[in-house]
Amino acid sequence: MFSSMADIEAQVKAKGDQIRALKDAGTDKAALAPHISELLALKAKLEGPPAAAQVQANEGEGEAREIRKARLEKIDAIRASNSNPFSYSFDTSTSAAALASAFEGKLEPGEEDESYKVSMAGRVMARRVFGKLAFFSLQDESGQIQLQFDKKKLNAADADAFKNLKAWTDSGDIIGVTGTIRRTDKGELTVNCETWEMLTKAILPLPDKFHGLTDVNKRYRQRHLDMITNPSVRDTFRARATITSSIRRQLDDLGFLEIETPVLQATPGGAEAKPFETHHNALDLPLTLRIATELHLKRLIVGGFNRVYEIGRIFRNEGISTRHNPEFTSIELYQAYADYEDMMELTENMITNIVNQLHGTETLPYGEHTVSFQRPWRRITMNDIVLEHMGFDFSSLDGNPDALAVAKEKAGEAGVPNVDSLKTVGYILNECFEELCEPKLIQPTFVTDYPKEVSPLAKPHRSKEGVVERFELFAVGRELANR
Amino acid sequence: MSEPKESKNAMKKRLKAEAAAKKKAEKDAAKAAKEAANPKKEKKFVAGDDADLDPTQYYANRVAAIEKMQAEGGNAYPHKFHVSHRVPDFIKEFDSKTKEGERLEGTTVTVAGRLNSVRGQGKLYFYDLKGDGDFVQIMSDLKTYESEEGFNAIHRSIKRGDIVGITGTPGKSKTGQLSVFPKQIVLLSPCLHMLPKSQGDRPAITDPEVRYRNRYLDLICNNENRRTFEIRARVISYIRRFLDERNFLEVETPSLCLLPGGATAKPFKTFHNDLNQEMYMRIAPELPLKKLIIGGLERVYEIGRNYRNEGIDLTHNPEFTTCEFYQAYADYEDLMRMTEEMVSGMVLSVCGSYKIAFSPKPGMPEVEVDFTPPFKRISMISGLESAMKISLPSLSDPQCASKLSAILKSRDIECAPPHTTARLLDELVGEYLESEIVNPTFIMEHPEIMSPLAKYHRSKEFLTERFELFVAGRELCNAYTELNNPKVQRERFLEQASFNASGDDEAMCLDESFVVALEHGLPPTGGWGLGIDRLTMFLSNKNNIKEVLLFPAMKPNAEEVALIAANKPKDDDKDVNQGKKFPACQAAKWEGADLGTEAGMRSLDCRLGDGAGPFLGGSKPSGADGELLRALATLPREAVGFFGNVKGYYNGAMQFSEAVRGTWK
Repeated sequence: MFSSMADIEAQVKAKGDQIRALKDAGTDKAALAPHISELLALKAKLEGPPAAAQVQANEGEGEAREIRKARLEKIDAIRASNSNPFSYSFDTSTSAAALASAFEGKLEPGEEDESYKVSMAGRVMARRVFGKLAFFSLQDESGQIQLQFDKKKLNAADADAFKNLKAWTDSGDIIGVTGTIRRTDKGELTVNCETWEMLTKAILPLPDKFHGLTDVNKRYRQRHLDMITNPSVRDTFRARATITSSIRRQLDDLGFLEIETPVLQATPGGAEAKPFETHHNALDLPLTLRIATELHLKRLIVGGFNRVYEIGRIFRNEGISTRHNPEFTSIELYQAYADYEDMMELTENMITNIVNQLHGTETLPYGEHTVSFQRPWRRITMNDIVLEHMGFDFSSLDGNPDALAVAKEKAGEAGVPNVDSLKTVGYILNECFEELCEPKLIQPTFVTDYPKEVSPLAKPHRSKEGVVERFELFAVGRELANR
Repeated sequence: MSEPKESKNAMKKRLKAEAAAKKKAEKDAAKAAKEAANPKKEKKFVAGDDADLDPTQYYANRVAAIEKMQAEGGNAYPHKFHVSHRVPDFIKEFDSKTKEGERLEGTTVTVAGRLNSVRGQGKLYFYDLKGDGDFVQIMSDLKTYESEEGFNAIHRSIKRGDIVGITGTPGKSKTGQLSVFPKQIVLLSPCLHMLPKSQGDRPAITDPEVRYRNRYLDLICNNENRRTFEIRARVISYIRRFLDERNFLEVETPSLCLLPGGATAKPFKTFHNDLNQEMYMRIAPELPLKKLIIGGLERVYEIGRNYRNEGIDLTHNPEFTTCEFYQAYADYEDLMRMTEEMVSGMVLSVCGSYKIAFSPKPGMPEVEVDFTPPFKRISMISGLESAMKISLPSLSDPQCASKLSAILKSRDIECAPPHTTARLLDELVGEYLESEIVNPTFIMEHPEIMSPLAKYHRSKEFLTERFELFVAGRELCNAYTELNNPKVQRERFLEQASFNASGDDEAMCLDESFVVALEHGLPPTGGWGLGIDRLTMFLSNKNNIKEVLLFPAMKPNAEEVALIAANKPKDDDKDVNQGKKFPACQAAKWEGADLGTEAGMRSLDCRLGDGAGPFLGGSKPSGADGELLRALATLPREAVGFFGNVKGYYNGAMQFSEAVRGTWK
């Protein structure tokens, strides 16, 4: 019952060719689907148990190798006709999104604006080629647009232009075109091309949508491919840039100075975490990568910079999870003459501004929750929130000689594990908070007045015994800010 | 959290000083008691009259005084002081509103800052208050103050260096000095140490060692140094604005990587415990940024730290900040125009003129550097030929290196071996082109062998479309049309590998994952890099990179060494394999050892631990790596993962596809 590997390979190849032929003939996705599932089934047979070294290997490697060979031959062909498969530069006049908004509600189906000349560049995401007509979809940073190549129009400038287009291009290539704008009969905005130019010939095919980049590991490892096939990924990074630039602008407007403190440090400080270790050869000096920026920044406040901040990379030699990366970006700011109330004010202001700027509203969906950033945010002391969730008032233990034992007992009753080894009531209160309250804080909430045991760099509270003037901001069950 | 602990030495010193101070304090107390018994002899209080005490004595007195104050119910460290006017804002608002000898009665301001000088006695005291880099006079007389008791107490307790908050009335003294006339002064944070004082023109702290190690003291005492860091912040924010306006997206790429790429430099090595993986600190962000261009982000930039494990000197710090940007569809000509626009615009905006004064080396006279665009352009090879008045051997000449070597020798120019064409040319460029440059000048069209990531020139054979911007003999920018032909890129990497084999340890690593990314198509792209630290040096007229870094890297002094030892993380997981047994496996011979045994694997682990790169031979893979990987692949995973270095090596090298591993020789 086992056909030989070579047999199956041959079948895969035949099937692949058939699918490509169908695709080129313009068969739509629905009609292609059964063929593709057949191909996948054949490929699955080919795959043995993955060898340790080949966990990452692409399942269509054999196919890819062939495509690669064919494309390298096209490169030679392009060179042979005195064109450059890797051109030097190209001037673009517009982008897909700019065109879409410029022509919104303009041009009837079938109408063309011949006076509107454009030049654009991008990656070919799909191509359909017929005898005298071809349609490509072109993707640039802003979005996608359809290109139309009409043999007669294209050949007006260069007699071989259409022939070359058919022979040389594949999806994945970067090309540049000039042309005018029309709307097809179906109503799609299209560049009717006058000239085209190969800008970069892609040698490897793009991962296709069917068995492409659904594997998250591969998406993270090859972010460039992820961005090509899932353009919405770019939006995440645009939002990220907007956030940092908004923070910078707000702080600069408040008179804060952005500064840079060292990453390489002889002794780690400012937080409790395992550092990365390294070695400076010329100084023969062991160094660690910073785990926080706190201590250096405070020295600058001593030095007379009254408002400073740093947005920078922090390194912690700890496990990797969906919420932890060995290096991450944080912002720390310090303001002379201000206290934690001022910092809550500033935090609320800054985050609300960012949310508004990004989304134009203060109410956001997050997973199954709806989070409202409308000010003011709830402020509650750690003691009170634990009271709320656990029904026990730790402050009632003040002055009680058996405080520690009672606290342990109450925490145990509430189902908080691992309190037996804790040495003070403050630690137990904190443990109860983390265990019972933290995951339930969905709306933005400032939790204030932490036990002094868990906050060695914070200042004792001006009026309450045993606690410090500190807050942490929580939302959707996670810590967002700390001071 | 660990706040720095005191070293033993420092503690001994302190205890000794405290003991001495205590003795002295007791003596003084006895003396004071005597004086108190005989009130006629009471000494009149004069502000600042303790400036002649020795620093240890001063410190002890101060600590005692603050403790006494706290004990009596005072608070030397209040939680908050509301500031209505920052000092520069106060000056801006009230300088024009006030007249000589007049006070704006009815207006109350609150200001805060550090007391820079104190003088006065009896019913009138003067202070200079420094806040946000500016100074304002505090003129405190008994009549304005809220109470006589408070007046006497506060002026006796505050000292030069203290942080104080002042509530008072704006006005001008009879001599026209803008001042605050306090109703109340609060101590916000005492300075326990005696601050160094400037003497005439001499700054308060001149020893650079002290200044760099204690930057806060430098900033307190030498006010003008603060300006350098304001310039630095403005430089960075100018670049950001410039690029943001042109639709560039700011991104962050990793600092920790499996292979150091994008430049030629020695990397810092580190180890990720959880992944059990050796990693490197990035030496340049170039390769990941280009991958983002491939991903369709057409204009990206990153301003960030890079790390190079090299010596420290006037222009090198182990970590430094660069800006790199990449723009799809642009070439080096476009980038030269952008560079001119950005750099000249920045100089004009930060310094107020295109022309700045700069002293290139310590002790050298200042030169005038003119940033008026356009900048001069010199093509490297033809520029060299006209500067040297000879014609250089062709780059295609197989004897090129030896001919160049002869030219260098005939002109008494030294070049450290190996004598590759690239290194020899670099030496000549340094001697004949760079050193002659004062005003910004592009040196462009470098040979391919010097520029493994730049694109071959569209019309000039063996050259690339690259430029470097030099100012006053120093490189400021480096940019090129990016090499986007994967075949040529792979050849260039292999060529670099051959230089590496000939002993040039600054040749570039082969990064196969980058070549594969190129095979997906990098659009025509211009890429550009600039050293932020060096640019700041120009604009603040500093010739030592330490002057533009708040906390420059320094070799630790004795006290710091003790601090490091005291804080050394505990080696609690030294023996990761405690309790685990090396799995039984079949024999796997490699270079005479059997990797199927614990002893064989341990010796391999030691050997890999001593290595300087991800491969057996350092930063370049070789045939031996292929053989070792094949031997390891026959063993069970638990055996390969038993020792950290072996596991790290295996996981790293297996990032390369089998086809690529087959090409290692």
